[in-house]
Amino acid sequence: MSQVLRLPSYLGIALVYAYRYTLGALFPGGCKYHPSCSQYAIDALREYGLVRGVILAGWRLLRCNPWSLGGVDYAHQQRLFK
Amino acid sequence: MILFSILSPLEDVLRHILTWLNGTVGLPWAWAIVVLTVMVRLLMVPLAVKQIHSMQAMQAHMPEMKAIQQRYKNDKQKRNEELMKFYRDNRVNPAAPCLPLLVQFPVFIALYLVLRQFSRHPPGGNLSWFGGLVPDITAHANAHWSGYLLLAIYVGSQLASTYFMSTTMDKTQRTMMMILPVAFVPVIVRFPVGLVIYWVTTNLWTVGQGIVTRQMVPKAQPPPKRSSRTPPKADKPSTDGAAEATEEKPVAEQPAQPRRVRRKKRARR
Repeated sequence: MSQVLRLPSYLGIALVYAYRYTLGALFPGGCKYHPSCSQYAIDALREYGLVRGVILAGWRLLRCNPWSLGGVDYAHQQRLFK
Repeated sequence: MILFSILSPLEDVLRHILTWLNGTVGLPWAWAIVVLTVMVRLLMVPLAVKQIHSMQAMQAHMPEMKAIQQRYKNDKQKRNEELMKFYRDNRVNPAAPCLPLLVQFPVFIALYLVLRQFSRHPPGGNLSWFGGLVPDITAHANAHWSGYLLLAIYVGSQLASTYFMSTTMDKTQRTMMMILPVAFVPVIVRFPVGLVIYWVTTNLWTVGQGIVTRQMVPKAQPPPKRSSRTPPKADKPSTDGAAEATEEKPVAEQPAQPRRVRRKKRARR
């Protein structure tokens, strides 16, 4: 992917970092998964671009609920987009 | 801006509840905010209960978890991975999920917008708190000395709630989480006092919930932990003698051992 096409996903990654140092810090919490949801979002955006990255991160957040088991789940292990 | 318009229905709901608490129930605005915050947190109590159960279930697996932490002491990545695998295999997970946390943000932002609206167009009724100690909750926190007092309470409550919420984090992450709230004070100083009230209330709720959780999940005592781990060590020399006969023994003994420990713990509760 050319650098220009990757720009939107960089924007997304920047937003995740912004979240980490603002709201993420003010509302402390953990994550049931490894890597954490925010790291997963960064990885997903980096590997799959903005649109698919956002979908993957959103799906991960929905899975990170009180009824799920958590566990090890890397962005590159996703099965949504093949 | 798009985000703000998405939030406007939520904003309306919050404004209506606040107006109802102020008008119909007759609370001053400040107390209306406190009550609204408690209402939001009450909605989330089932999630906390769920987590307490999960933490209780985890107590039985403490020795194994400690062993994993010890084994991967110097490799954070691997340690987290192994711990998460262990949680999944044993169907326990002490870490808080992200989603409930995320649900709080829109409420927080919507309340910020409501209070900002309030400070631009002050509503009728009592805007002071504690009989004028805090003169105007729609003003910025730096407008009156009481705002600084509230900020000090905020920082304290924030640190305390971080302390309770970050038990599953590693040290560096935890330190960062402790420093950031202090670093944010210059920003929060320009927030309406009402929002600081919300923040203090929700933090204190977290602390209270944390204390209750700690009491309901007793910390595993080190001595019984050791005793459950010692038998395999004692078995080692015997396996050198007769391989087949003694190899069955530890398998038969081991399930009995943790069960005994668990029974003791239940009796203590």
